[in-house]
Amino acid sequence: MSPTARKALIYLAIAVTAFVFVLPLWWAIASSFRPNDAMFADLFPFTPRALLPEPFTVEAYVAIFERGFGSIIANTLLVAGLTTALGLVVNALAGYAFALFEFPGKSAVLGVVVVSFMLPFEAIAMPLYSVVSQLGWIDHVAALVVPSVANGLAVFLFYQFFQQVPKDYYEAARLEGAGWLRILWSVYVPLSLPTCISAGLMLFIFQWEAFLWPLLAMPAQQFKVIQVGMAAFQDQYTTAWNQLFGAAVITALIPMLLLIPLQRYYVQGLAGSGIKG
Amino acid sequence: MNRSPVALLVLTLAPALLGLAIFRAYPIGLAFYESLYTTIGGERIFVGLGNYADLFADSGFWKSMRVTLWFNLIINPLQVALALALALMFVQKLPGMALFRLLFLIPIGVSLPVAVIIWRIVLLPEGFLNGALGAIGLGPYRFLTSPDFALYSIIGIATWKGISYWMIFLVGGLQNIPPEINEAARLEGASPWQRLWLVTLPLLKPTLLFVLVADITINFLLFAPVFMLTGGGPRGSTNVLMYEAYKSGFVFGDMGRAMAIVVCLVVMLLIIVAIQFRLLSSAPAREGK
Repeated sequence: MSPTARKALIYLAIAVTAFVFVLPLWWAIASSFRPNDAMFADLFPFTPRALLPEPFTVEAYVAIFERGFGSIIANTLLVAGLTTALGLVVNALAGYAFALFEFPGKSAVLGVVVVSFMLPFEAIAMPLYSVVSQLGWIDHVAALVVPSVANGLAVFLFYQFFQQVPKDYYEAARLEGAGWLRILWSVYVPLSLPTCISAGLMLFIFQWEAFLWPLLAMPAQQFKVIQVGMAAFQDQYTTAWNQLFGAAVITALIPMLLLIPLQRYYVQGLAGSGIKG
Repeated sequence: MNRSPVALLVLTLAPALLGLAIFRAYPIGLAFYESLYTTIGGERIFVGLGNYADLFADSGFWKSMRVTLWFNLIINPLQVALALALALMFVQKLPGMALFRLLFLIPIGVSLPVAVIIWRIVLLPEGFLNGALGAIGLGPYRFLTSPDFALYSIIGIATWKGISYWMIFLVGGLQNIPPEINEAARLEGASPWQRLWLVTLPLLKPTLLFVLVADITINFLLFAPVFMLTGGGPRGSTNVLMYEAYKSGFVFGDMGRAMAIVVCLVVMLLIIVAIQFRLLSSAPAREGK
């Protein structure tokens, strides 16, 4: 096969894969703008018109927000925003300490941090319920935020980055009389913006996508977050297909609005952790 | 200003390490502790390893174990292979790749519950997939309500949602391979297929291993699709251990049994992670990296 023919074949394979990959999502978006009784029109027999939003209507979105989806979004933004802000501070501090200071048992402690992120959160969700109920936090926002702040992967990302910063920077700032907190804030943090962005995105998306833990920790469902809210919506309005699609589209849209402009940092941060991890 | 390094260390490390200790490590210990008790009429009674003995004598537990293992035996190799294929496409340098790369990344923004809702409607007997299959004379199939299909539908949904994420790690691994090595192999007359099998994949092995293990740990604990779609059915065909534990503890109120299942899952995962660290620490020497 000539190189040109091979290139064309690869190109075709990539285009077809990308198309098939996003097809279900496209159908969901298009259909969320259809009236409910036209959801499955154009499918039997199948025509490509099934992929178009016709007849066009936004009634599904109006209905979703009338059913309180707006406050569910606000709740989740609050929980994810708090977790991200606190998580950046706490995990960056720990990464800074691991990178700059030697202390007995350091490699053992780092090892435990790494194992902690190899063990997914779901593994401990059920026993965590007992811990959080001992603390009296069941049905409180603290139950969602506090356990998610300390994150082994985020500590590791910061550790990895701060380790590469030449020690001379630290020594020079020390000689000029700067305290360690000042050095972290005015030397290390400005250098580590890409790491802050990738760790922040990770914390935010982790919290945005949380399902099992909020399901267990908020049994009264007074304060609903988005994934659980959506699942409850599915149980309640089983056949309001266009509204289910609308809720799914909104739920996916918000992390994507963050991911698309920042994808470079997210990809770099995660890919780097895998190579060394 | 001139705090001793000890005070400084405590201040910087304590919040993260305390968080990890209280909300990650302690729950694991607590799970083991609670798995030694049973609750009868609101009273907690110490039963030692009784919950484990009951579990291992229960055919329902073993059926759930079989479902979990079969599910993982299929989904993990499938996801790693597809993620690798995506990653190999992702790193191609062709016109218009920026758009395709973006499309490949899109499912990362889609959470598992969102994927479940979308696919549930796509997979309905009157849904999109049956419509498309009908155009070539197949179906309609009951993808979610037939015991022959339900587990594989869940595998399909989780795979669609998951592979973009794993692709990112493999892209990082691919970009870490010096291009000169592939170039040298090309000049030696190796075909693209040979270069993939003899150069790229051996060099990518540590990353592939990491992705495989991380993927296994996620899929062993898969919960949302079973909870939202099938409730473990039809006829127990999707009743994975994670869902069995949830049902025992939070539906039937038998926390002892639930915690015993969680401990079994955590032990299995820790063994898998330990094997990975063993393999990874011996890998670089073999590959001369």
